[in-house]
Amino acid sequence: MSELEMAAGSGHTIAAHAAPHAVAMEPSPYRVGSGKMAMWLFIIADAATFGACLFVYGFLRLTSPDWVRPFAFSPTIINGMIMTFVLLTSSLTMLGAVLAAKAGRTSSCLNWLGATILLGILFAVLHLREWSGMIREGWRPFQNPMGGSVQFGAAFFSITGLHLLHVISGVVAIAVIAIGYKRGRFQASNVEVTGLYWHFVDLVWMFVFPLLYLLNSH
Amino acid sequence: MSAAESDQVPGMKFYVMVWIGLLAIVGFEVFLTYRNLPAKTLLASLLLLSAVEAGLALMYFMHLKYERPRLFWSLIPTLIFVLFMMDHIWADAFRLINLRLPTP
Repeated sequence: MSELEMAAGSGHTIAAHAAPHAVAMEPSPYRVGSGKMAMWLFIIADAATFGACLFVYGFLRLTSPDWVRPFAFSPTIINGMIMTFVLLTSSLTMLGAVLAAKAGRTSSCLNWLGATILLGILFAVLHLREWSGMIREGWRPFQNPMGGSVQFGAAFFSITGLHLLHVISGVVAIAVIAIGYKRGRFQASNVEVTGLYWHFVDLVWMFVFPLLYLLNSH
Repeated sequence: MSAAESDQVPGMKFYVMVWIGLLAIVGFEVFLTYRNLPAKTLLASLLLLSAVEAGLALMYFMHLKYERPRLFWSLIPTLIFVLFMMDHIWADAFRLINLRLPTP
């Protein structure tokens, strides 16, 4: 945690710690650092974005009498369950990284971050493999090989694509934080803030899997 | 993080228990999906279970339980309000149902 954040968190003014010319600031009413607060605000905004996408999907389903339910238990739902397991496990490894970083165990933290990155990549690979299988079958954002509403492809590819983009961004962010943490440029608070983002990606999947996969299974 | 908060944050053993709980809920969701429940019941059940999962992740994985309560009260009710307004007003949801097109 930076000095500025610690000062804000402990209830002291910045002026007491910084140069005499520094501007006096009120302590944070939330007792969290600015980075963590910014991440929470981003998460709330992003949750509204995903919420909007899922509501649109719900409206499309309601207004499409010929909605298709293309997913069989094997392979799609089984693949989705494996993806869920991988993402939930990556949240656990991220928690291990945060705990290790706070305890000052650098190599342990890096190992946990490495495991999180590998699990994130595995999730993305499983997802892209599923997409390629669907595309081979003739699914497109506005094309439905089974007949019926073409909106299924639009909803499925856009929502899972947006989530996949978050996963890939998260993997890149964790890699950047891991390298910076190893070199001493980043601290435990940076690992924690990145962890917040990663858990959010996991949290979104908890809605995407039942609503887009399970409700579209036969 | 304050010293008091760092004392409160649980260890890996507790997180593993939450992780097992989340996996169990996912398994239950899949089980319910293949129970041939009416569509509305299934949707309500899956949404409820997802909300429980999200709550566990927010409170324990994201440590919201160990932050100051005012952080929770500033963020979560706001998000719920926004989502509620989206669902009920933004897309004029109830009118949409009546606009449903006939099967071609």
